[in-house]
Amino acid sequence: MGHEAAGRRTPGLQQATVVALSLGVAVVLGDAGVVTLALPEILRDFGAQVWGVAWVLISFNLVLALVAVPAARLCVRGDPAVATASGVLAFAAATTVCAVASSLGVLIAARAAQAAGGALVIVGSLELLVSATGVERAGVRRWATAGVAGAALGPVIGGLLTAAFSWRAIFVVQIPVVLLALPAAIALRGRVKSRRPTLETSPDRPHLLANLALALLSAALTAALFLLVLLLVDGWSRSPAVAALAVTAVPAAALAAGPVFRSVRAGTRSEAIAGSVLIAGGLTGLALLPRADLIWTIAPQVLIGLGLGLSVDSLTAAALRDRIPRALHGGWTIAARHAGVVVGLAILTPIFTADLRHAQTPAEEAIASLVLDAPLPASTKLDLAEQLGRRLSAEQGRVPDLRPAFTAVRVPAAQAPAVAALQRGLDDQLKRAATRAFRTSFLVAAGLALLALGPALALRDRYRS
Amino acid sequence: MKRLGLPLIAVVLVAAVLAVQVAAGGAHYVPLRPANPCSPRPVPPIPAQLEPLAEQIVLLGLDSAACRLGISRERLVLALAETHTLDPRQSAALKAGLADAVDRLDREGRLPKVSQLLPQALAQTHLPGIVKTIVEAIPDPVVDNLLPTAPLLRRTVDALDINRLLRELGDPGQLNSALQSAILQAALHQILDSLHP
Repeated sequence: MGHEAAGRRTPGLQQATVVALSLGVAVVLGDAGVVTLALPEILRDFGAQVWGVAWVLISFNLVLALVAVPAARLCVRGDPAVATASGVLAFAAATTVCAVASSLGVLIAARAAQAAGGALVIVGSLELLVSATGVERAGVRRWATAGVAGAALGPVIGGLLTAAFSWRAIFVVQIPVVLLALPAAIALRGRVKSRRPTLETSPDRPHLLANLALALLSAALTAALFLLVLLLVDGWSRSPAVAALAVTAVPAAALAAGPVFRSVRAGTRSEAIAGSVLIAGGLTGLALLPRADLIWTIAPQVLIGLGLGLSVDSLTAAALRDRIPRALHGGWTIAARHAGVVVGLAILTPIFTADLRHAQTPAEEAIASLVLDAPLPASTKLDLAEQLGRRLSAEQGRVPDLRPAFTAVRVPAAQAPAVAALQRGLDDQLKRAATRAFRTSFLVAAGLALLALGPALALRDRYRS
Repeated sequence: MKRLGLPLIAVVLVAAVLAVQVAAGGAHYVPLRPANPCSPRPVPPIPAQLEPLAEQIVLLGLDSAACRLGISRERLVLALAETHTLDPRQSAALKAGLADAVDRLDREGRLPKVSQLLPQALAQTHLPGIVKTIVEAIPDPVVDNLLPTAPLLRRTVDALDINRLLRELGDPGQLNSALQSAILQAALHQILDSLHP
């Protein structure tokens, strides 16, 4: 296999190299969704619209999808260690610009540069991890698992950092972590001899079915993380920290999926089918939430996490198995996944922004109904109606915060309980309207996951070792 | 069997989660839908005071007007809040709706007698003290005979300038003044009609 480096290095150093490279892969792939929970704060900081801020996510994923295969070709032609080291430096530089970005345009451009550097880190690390572990399957498994862990944990860590410091902290923290991969890559310089096509053999064709399934599932998973976070923070007015803790159910279940289900040794095809069903079911569960309560999101998230853990690294392994050059096929899986994310965002963002706008009318009518029927004197209702009207017209297209309307109206103590009950009722109506506004998007995303069943069913079944 | 097992486990898990969510009302977690304005809304007990009576007449009147206009009561209220002026069709529907509300409360025997409302009404007016004293001295049966509640309220509705009321919704003083003026005008005409049948 040509993995000479592993044999000549001490186990401790080898372990450190594997960890550093895995962290690099996890940070870059985690970056695809790390800003998800920070989007509301970025939106406020730059005074942008939802569609504009979505480009902070889209630019990274779009460039990664476009650059992954060319970056892989670069790795194949040259030394993957040099490509990885260059990628780490480019990624760190672009991340620094993200951390100090003065405008949304600069942030979006720096995110694109991050993706270009990140593509080299990811595809180069695939070869380096195989080389560092000395066993092809172990290296590929480590690479795929690092990617799944990064993608699943990214939004959680991003949310916690945003809550504790600010969205800029997300980028500050990434710089030293990704730079750990630099000495690891340099240490493996000139030591990687990967299998390459010869003059007689052309490169293997990409595994169309596995990559198509990966693209569709990634599009669906975008909804799980991006839409759920927006629902929790913007729709239900939860803090980014609470939302981050709430969405830990996805990565926790994703990481548990391997130990829970792999003992069954069901095979790649069965794992991909089961994963697609679980992700589609979880997204349908998010479309059918019975209350605006975090507890109701846990079970659907667990389904999604189990599906993610089962299907993504299973499909990745299927896409890479016995195909050369490995980095190129790794590049195809990354391109497929991130193209899927972009397609998912492109399909779902207009749907839920339109639904959010359309949710305004039923929300206003529900608010008017509760105010009219509130057990309060007409004069208090008129005062409240005037203030509520101002809040509603000030927050066109967003879920309004009605608290200022209630603090602006002074009522006698005897009316306070009825006013408090009215406020609770109106908050409930807004949450109902917001939750309903996300329903179609979650169902469309579930449809994308179900579409992945097509290529998953057509996969040849192979038991994993 | 192994190959079928994992997908089957997935289907069972999904079915269990979705069943619990649907059973808990997941399919019906939507904003409150406005009631049909053409279906009579239950009316709570009305205290014999001006503001609760006026409020109830307005609420029922909005329902009736919305029914005539073919929209929900809530949509009508939101439209009124946005425009502050009415086209003749809306104005006519509102007046007719208020008259319908008075008729319904009258039919159901829920209208208080004018003598019950008079002390509060007098306290709120700016009439000279001597006039208030004279009016207060009139026996209740005489007041109720001269000013039966339903006809008085119908005349008041006729006398209302709906567009003016809408413009002054944000100014309670002006709103009260407009209402008092309409009530006094209606009462005067009612008394004059009683004296000169």
